[in-house]
Formats: sequence, C-alpha cells, structure tokens
Amino acid sequence: MSKWFVYGIHIGGWDLKATDPVQFHRGWPGVGFTHSLLYGVVIAFLFWRLLGSKTWAVSFLIGQWAHAITDTGDTVGTMLFFPWTIHIHFGAWAYAGQTGRMTDAAAYFSGPGAVWDLVWIVYGIFSWRVLTRSYFERHVYAADAFWSRANRFIPLAALLVAYRAAFFYGTTRWIAWSLWAHVVHHYPYDISWGGPHWVPAAHSPSLTWLQLVGVGAIVGAGVAIVVVSRHEFGRRSWAAIRSRT
Amino acid sequence: MPSSSQLTVAAGYVAAGAVYVALGVWYTDFLFSFFVGLGYLLLVAWLVPLCVRRIF
Repeated sequence: MSKWFVYGIHIGGWDLKATDPVQFHRGWPGVGFTHSLLYGVVIAFLFWRLLGSKTWAVSFLIGQWAHAITDTGDTVGTMLFFPWTIHIHFGAWAYAGQTGRMTDAAAYFSGPGAVWDLVWIVYGIFSWRVLTRSYFERHVYAADAFWSRANRFIPLAALLVAYRAAFFYGTTRWIAWSLWAHVVHHYPYDISWGGPHWVPAAHSPSLTWLQLVGVGAIVGAGVAIVVVSRHEFGRRSWAAIRSRT
Repeated sequence: MPSSSQLTVAAGYVAAGAVYVALGVWYTDFLFSFFVGLGYLLLVAWLVPLCVRRIF
C-alpha cells in the first residue's frame, strides 16, 4: 500500500515521492510500523470487533505477520518489535526500493528473494488440492460467511475464480518478472547471500549485543507464553472432560 | 493424482496464465496490481466462457 510513495508517481504536473524512501517505507518516523507484529495484532483486533469475524482477524494476522517476518530477510529488515525501533534483518537479499520500481523488480527477481518466492510457488503446486472446486466448497465457502453473502450477487463459479486468483497472480507475476529481467533485459542472476550485489542496496546497522539480548528476551517470553498457555489449556480441557464423566 | 476434468480446468488456467505473462512482459504496469490480475482472471476464466456458452 505504501510502495507507490516509495517508488514515486507522476500525476499531472506533480511528482510525488518520499524524500527518503527507505526511511518512509521501513522506518520511524515513517510507515515502517505497518511491518511490525503489534500492527498485525491491532488491525486483527479491529477486524474481529468491528467486522465481527474471527476468521478475517486470524487470516489477517497470519498474512501480516508472514509479510513482516519475510521482509526481515532483506538488508533493511523490519521494526518487528515496534515501538522498539531497531530493524531485525537477516540480509539474505538486497533491499532496493529506493532505486525505483523497475530496478527494484529486476534486483528482487535476480536474487535470493526470487528463490524464496519460488519455494512458495512449488509448495502451492504440491498443495494443488486446495485449489479444487470441492475443497473450496467444503472448507473455504463453509468456513467464512463472506462467500455465502457474496454468492447472493455473484455466481459460485466467479467466486471460485476469485479464490484461485491469489495463487494465479503470485505465480504468473513471478514468471513474467523473471522473463522481463532475464530474457528481455539480461540482468545477471546473483543468488549469493545479500544479492544481487550489482544493485546499490540499502542497509540497516547491525544489532549490538545488548539489542540481541533484548530480542532474545522478547522471543523467549513469547515462546514461554505459548508453551504455558497450551499447557494450562490442556489441563483445563482434561478437567472439563473429567467433570463430565 | 488429479482427475482428467481437474487437469482440463488446470490447462485452462495455464493458458490464461501464459497470456497474462505475455501481456505483463510487454507492458509491466499490468503486473503491479493484484486487482488487475483478479479482473483479468475473472474476464478470461469466467465471463468469456460464460458468454461463449450462452451464445453457442
């Protein structure tokens, strides 16, 4: 949603572009907080309370967390633990948003990021059953009231096509950008760590030892909460079963 | 393994995908928005086949 201002657009006589695209996209001040775990929780909570749908809330949370965590793979990373504004980054592929959308696309589809996308495409192909009509009708349509409401105005066949569109779009754009970058324009592949190195990548500073300890403490606390709550939930479930028998 | 009817459906999507890729490589603005992809797929995988069935 914020990428248009990162790349810049030309409307009439106006050129709209962030003066510091990296800071705007991933930093604070900026809209970098949209790539944090807390932002996912807040928006999911709003989906749940305002739209009354737990399915949409949980789906948004999974998707937004997957996005925020995946973007830690590049050389800038994300403020995953916002309001703590350090950038968690693994530096696996080059962040090149500041170079403009065409160079950014060429770089992304030439480096480890493209390989990472390909992993998910292959995983999707192996999971082909989730794209069948029977799976959609039995599991997706039945689980989310959105589909039955939409079906009052839109035929089921069109809804099925819309459901399949996400996988269709993800796969075809990967193929199209790869052909554009490597067949039409001959950008070199460089899938080494941090690549492609032919693009001037933006970088976040490495974390200090103290910051690493802080991150470890947050992750450890999160894991502990999950383990303890599962343990307690299990005990309560057994107590409920025993009380019934 | 997928049934023959499922493979026929998949072949239709592959053909639609090949056209989308060709259009996208030629005019990259076509690749930037999911909603453009959604509109294209609804057109070629639902609306056009529906119209063809109605006409013939």
